[in-house]
Amino acid sequence: MATTDSDSATASQRLDKDTRETIVTVVRHTILLTWSFIVLFPLYWLASMSLKPPGTANSLPPDWIFLPTVYNYIQLIQDSGFVAAFANSLVMVSASVVLVLLIGVPAAYVLSRYDIPMERDVLVWILSSRMLPPIAVVLPFFIIFRELNLFDTRVGMVLMYVSINLSLVVWVMKAFFDGIPETLEEAARVDGATQFQGFRKVVLPAAKPGIFSVAIISFIFAWIELLFGLVLTSFEAVPVTLFVYSFIGSRSIEWGMLAAASTAMIVPVVIFLIAVNKYLAAGLSFGVVIKE
Amino acid sequence: MSTPTQTETTPQSTFARLRDLWNDYLPYWFMAPMVAVMVMITFFPGAYDLYLSLIAEPTLDVFAADFVGLRNFETAFTRGGAIHSFVITITVVVSALLLETILGFVLAALVAGVGSGRAKSFYRVLFIIPMAVAPVSLATIGRIMLNSEIGIIPYVINTGTPFAAPNFLSEIPLLTVILLDAWNWTPFMFIIFYAGLSSVPKTLIEASRVDGAPMWRRYVHVIIPYMKPVVFVATLIRLIDLFRTFGVVYGLTGGGPGTATQLVSINIYEQMFINNQITVAAAIAVVYLVLVVALCNVIIAKVGFEGVWD
Repeated sequence: MATTDSDSATASQRLDKDTRETIVTVVRHTILLTWSFIVLFPLYWLASMSLKPPGTANSLPPDWIFLPTVYNYIQLIQDSGFVAAFANSLVMVSASVVLVLLIGVPAAYVLSRYDIPMERDVLVWILSSRMLPPIAVVLPFFIIFRELNLFDTRVGMVLMYVSINLSLVVWVMKAFFDGIPETLEEAARVDGATQFQGFRKVVLPAAKPGIFSVAIISFIFAWIELLFGLVLTSFEAVPVTLFVYSFIGSRSIEWGMLAAASTAMIVPVVIFLIAVNKYLAAGLSFGVVIKE
Repeated sequence: MSTPTQTETTPQSTFARLRDLWNDYLPYWFMAPMVAVMVMITFFPGAYDLYLSLIAEPTLDVFAADFVGLRNFETAFTRGGAIHSFVITITVVVSALLLETILGFVLAALVAGVGSGRAKSFYRVLFIIPMAVAPVSLATIGRIMLNSEIGIIPYVINTGTPFAAPNFLSEIPLLTVILLDAWNWTPFMFIIFYAGLSSVPKTLIEASRVDGAPMWRRYVHVIIPYMKPVVFVATLIRLIDLFRTFGVVYGLTGGGPGTATQLVSINIYEQMFINNQITVAAAIAVVYLVLVVALCNVIIAKVGFEGVWD
């Protein structure tokens, strides 16, 4: 290493800088890979348990190598209760997403385009529906649903799912409409379109990606909801979350089937999440992040 | 002579008038369903909870109700375990929020600094996956992995380390709930912070780099101040959602052992459906509603959603 003074100084300095950067990179990836492991291992464990043959699912030390079997999934599909609950959730959650978009998207458009008196208060009021803890909300609905014969009906559950997601749809879509230039509709108006036609034929198509992602995020929030199903249904309108819970609640737990049912609930949501990955941050923070 | 002409034109003009009505009052039609639903889901539950909390017995005839003043509140806070459940809830909310904010920010900063674009998007997609896990499935994972007889985590601790594994669900149930929530929702903080970090102008970072500021100073003096609105909104939304926690605790410990994990939401549920004390449950619900909504509104009024109002 003994070269001329100035050379060695810069060389060692550069070496220092390089090694420092290497160390930073190594530490960075070590932490990130550790977190990846923390993220993946529980999911791997759940999925592998659902694929283990009955009797070996909970043996310790664990069978790290095993012949996967779909036995638990076949059991699950043959369980008419599970299939019915899964179908229930699919129908109720989809209907609620359509309804919440029909109600929320036009309102968001008005909030974006018109001067609403006390707009700020209106927006906070809308957000406040999200602040209400569901457990405090569900008791009045429990009583009123029994009065109105909505208890244990799909219609009742759809209404509750709408209530979960309405604020999300309005906030995110308002931010989205704010980002669409008003000149688009003005041009349509000049061409003789009515206000409604301008909204339907020009603004809505431009907002399609936003609507798509907010629909999926609404779907997920309704899909994972447990409490409303627990309180407001008993047999007819039972959602899949409640059905899976009944596996945990029972005295002798069938670990394999429980793992299979839980995995079956996670997989479609993972696919959805990755599909809306691009808009996820804006959606989850009620559209605020895009405004930065 | 004029009568037939009138009857002939009426249907058309009615249609035209309706169409004009639709177009002229478009903003009102567009807002009306949303306002109707919002009134139903915001004012009705609070008012009904308040009514229930002040009466002796739920009755079908609203006017025949027997008002008992604050007796239900007294019952809730003396024998109903309300104080305990509020303390537990605040403990969980504050710890989980702190943990998730710090962890989420560190992970976002680490991923943002990754050189290769492909590795970056790999981590980004991977790290959001726990959000796909429903409370019920999270409770399942907890039950399976932490079970002291069949759980892999106690097994690894017992065989791989000199320590004896604690019984996660009975000895440290609150910590277990906080850690599971952090696993589930740190991704939320991560993805928002990551989006926020990506929105920091490159020129701002370059300028401070040219000035020779070390990395930590860049964060403290440039990046974090710039991201303040994002950090604020993310923590507020997460705060709101943490108060909703129910399913995972219900599935994992059911509020137990004893009342160790009896969050307010679990307490209200038990008063309603296990003790059949609907009016006491309503009293706790009223206090909970008022506290959460007031807290969130104070925060919004103090800091505001910067950049949202125009």
